[in-house]
Amino acid sequence: MKKYLLATLALFKFSYAEEIEELKKELEKQREIIIKLQERLNRLEQKQQEVLNQTKEKLQNLQRGNSIDRMLSNPFSQAKFVPDISLITDFSYVSRSLTDDTYKSIQIPGFNHGFFRDGKSPLNVERGFNFNYSEMYLTSTVDPYFDLVGVFHLHKDGFEIEEGYFQTRDLPYNLKLKGGKFYSEFGRLNKQHHHVWNFADAPLIYRAIFGEENLNETGIQLSWLAPTPFYLLTGFEVFQGDNENNFNRNGFIVNTKKEGSGNNIKISDTEKPNLFTFFIKPSFDIGNTSILTGVSYAQGKTRINHLEDDNPHAQSGDTKIYGFEVTARHTLDSYRYLLLQSEYIYKKFDGTRFGYNDSGDIQTPRFVKKQAGFYVEGIYKFAERWRAGLRYDLINKNDVFVNGRNRNLPDNIYKYSAMIDFLPSEFSRIRLQYNYDRSLFTEDLKRKPNNEIILQFNLAIGAHGAHGF
Amino acid sequence: MRVLVFLLILLTFGSAKAEIKVVTTYPYIASITKEIVKEKAQVDYLASGNLDPHFIVPKPSLTVKLRNADLLIINGAGLEVGWLPPLLNQASNRKINPWSNGFLDLSQYINLIEKPENVSRAMGDVHPEGNPHFHLDPYNVPIISQEITEKICKLDSSNCDYYKNNLSDFKKRWNEKLAIWNSKMASLKGVKVYQYHKLFDYFLKRYRIISIDTIEPLPGIPPTAKHLEELISKAKSENVKMILQDVYHPIKPAKYISEKTGLKIVVLPHDVEAVEEAKDIFSLFDTIVERMNK
Repeated sequence: MKKYLLATLALFKFSYAEEIEELKKELEKQREIIIKLQERLNRLEQKQQEVLNQTKEKLQNLQRGNSIDRMLSNPFSQAKFVPDISLITDFSYVSRSLTDDTYKSIQIPGFNHGFFRDGKSPLNVERGFNFNYSEMYLTSTVDPYFDLVGVFHLHKDGFEIEEGYFQTRDLPYNLKLKGGKFYSEFGRLNKQHHHVWNFADAPLIYRAIFGEENLNETGIQLSWLAPTPFYLLTGFEVFQGDNENNFNRNGFIVNTKKEGSGNNIKISDTEKPNLFTFFIKPSFDIGNTSILTGVSYAQGKTRINHLEDDNPHAQSGDTKIYGFEVTARHTLDSYRYLLLQSEYIYKKFDGTRFGYNDSGDIQTPRFVKKQAGFYVEGIYKFAERWRAGLRYDLINKNDVFVNGRNRNLPDNIYKYSAMIDFLPSEFSRIRLQYNYDRSLFTEDLKRKPNNEIILQFNLAIGAHGAHGF
Repeated sequence: MRVLVFLLILLTFGSAKAEIKVVTTYPYIASITKEIVKEKAQVDYLASGNLDPHFIVPKPSLTVKLRNADLLIINGAGLEVGWLPPLLNQASNRKINPWSNGFLDLSQYINLIEKPENVSRAMGDVHPEGNPHFHLDPYNVPIISQEITEKICKLDSSNCDYYKNNLSDFKKRWNEKLAIWNSKMASLKGVKVYQYHKLFDYFLKRYRIISIDTIEPLPGIPPTAKHLEELISKAKSENVKMILQDVYHPIKPAKYISEKTGLKIVVLPHDVEAVEEAKDIFSLFDTIVERMNK
């Protein structure tokens, strides 16, 4: 038994040893394979690293701008600092019942001598096609302390700097200082550019009191957003006093005789700056309705020199203008709203008028003007691209006193306007407006009824900043 | 006298408590910010969640919110360009001027999709920066919350640990929710849809839902009859399953297509408070996922 056992064990041992030998061989083979694999892997890793390095290099070159464009471009390029530039063009077709000759000769009595003085060409002046303007806007931040804005009004016979002003970015206590040539904060519509108006033309009271360019002045403005729980913007302005209808600042010399044979009376320049304004504008919300109201005041000395006219005359004195405004905008949804806007403006002039009687002798009566009017307009934006609106204009106070005697000028000067706007996009506007205008008179105070239709195209390109409320 | 002294102490304490004021442009940013700051800062927002985010009325009352803000957080990528600049100008608050410490533009930290190679206004109201509605990718929300936390930490370093704790807690809860949303959205993978505007592209891309076309022919341009007919005929050939309608565009064109094709209209909130259920950033995505799965 023992023998057998030993024999099988020996046999087993032998076969076991054989198996181990085989296993060892197998293991050797495996090791070789592993080594080979390891080598392959190393090679692959190396290759991958190479590719990665190459890609990185390529990317870096790209970022470094090793492209032909970069190599050709100016190494001192400041292209990234180009300001926002935009161009807005206004073009219209006008159909008017008054002939162009009549339209040029008429006026709003007591306010001005028509809209065409001093070579000014108002908007939509002729029957037929009118290229009203192209306006170029340039705006950018100057540095951490200032922004700069330039608005250049280009039309067929001229180039005007409409606005050119800086404003501060960094004053404490919610203060802002503005300086240069700009539209006064007086009233609601005054500082808005023509392309954001709700109608193709300015309200009657604006045209009558301020003239075609509104209150556009040279000076400074300090405004302050008060720390009240509701919106309250207040501020004041100091201007040189450029507005020709109301202020001006340069004195004049009047001869006591029309033909110039008498003595000279010298009216000196006003103090400069000459015009001071103040405004306070609170706003609050009631549900989906935002209401913005405001009171504005402007005061300055007046020097009006029309001594070169066929009927030479001049005025010197003080002018005070008061403005009251209210705007209510009710938001219906993202694309529809109702807007109601109204302004009342009152002007008082007190001074002396220099003119001549029939025999050519100077007359210097005390001259007082108390004039006022308002407009009220309602706009309904009834679809994403459509707006419709109505406006009523009225000048209801037109008292002009010569030595205390009222000249009884017309004081029922009115106009109705209706418009419909189509906005193909945010950047274009096509507007059809109808004016039933009863504000125009001949020199001998005969009313000249005017009906007009204006088809307006207003388009904008470039980077134009968003508009406020 | 004692009462007076007490009042005086109260007053000085009241003013000494320098709680930072954060204003965000959209409600979703306010909701994320609140998760981070909790009661340690005041958070307010400017735009209503149910209105078109491109066209917010620059009401004067909004400048009152900006006037005293210590931090303004905007979405960026051109979404606010049509309404925020005049408000900022009016607010005259130097703390929140763009590129100052109190200003955060979230789009700067996100990889924007659909960045056009060339832009022209002939393409409609395109954003040269890319699609600005990035917050609708739920994977972008943690990035947003991270950036907000870092910014607020800089402004209020004494409470930084508190904010960071809130951030990690928020991220944890967000990841739990993500798992749920991911599993719910898995079944919609490959589904084809129409939407009014490219508003939900980030969300759709995340869940591999295919946006075949938009109801508006070009961004910001209302649909034309011709375009709607195209959509109707394409609905069958492309096997479109539903129309994703936002809350602020007119629903009429979608209804018209639906009548002709039988497509399902799904009204989706795009922001917090766009619909009643979307009360915060979590329920905004809950609502979107739920309504898409209905």
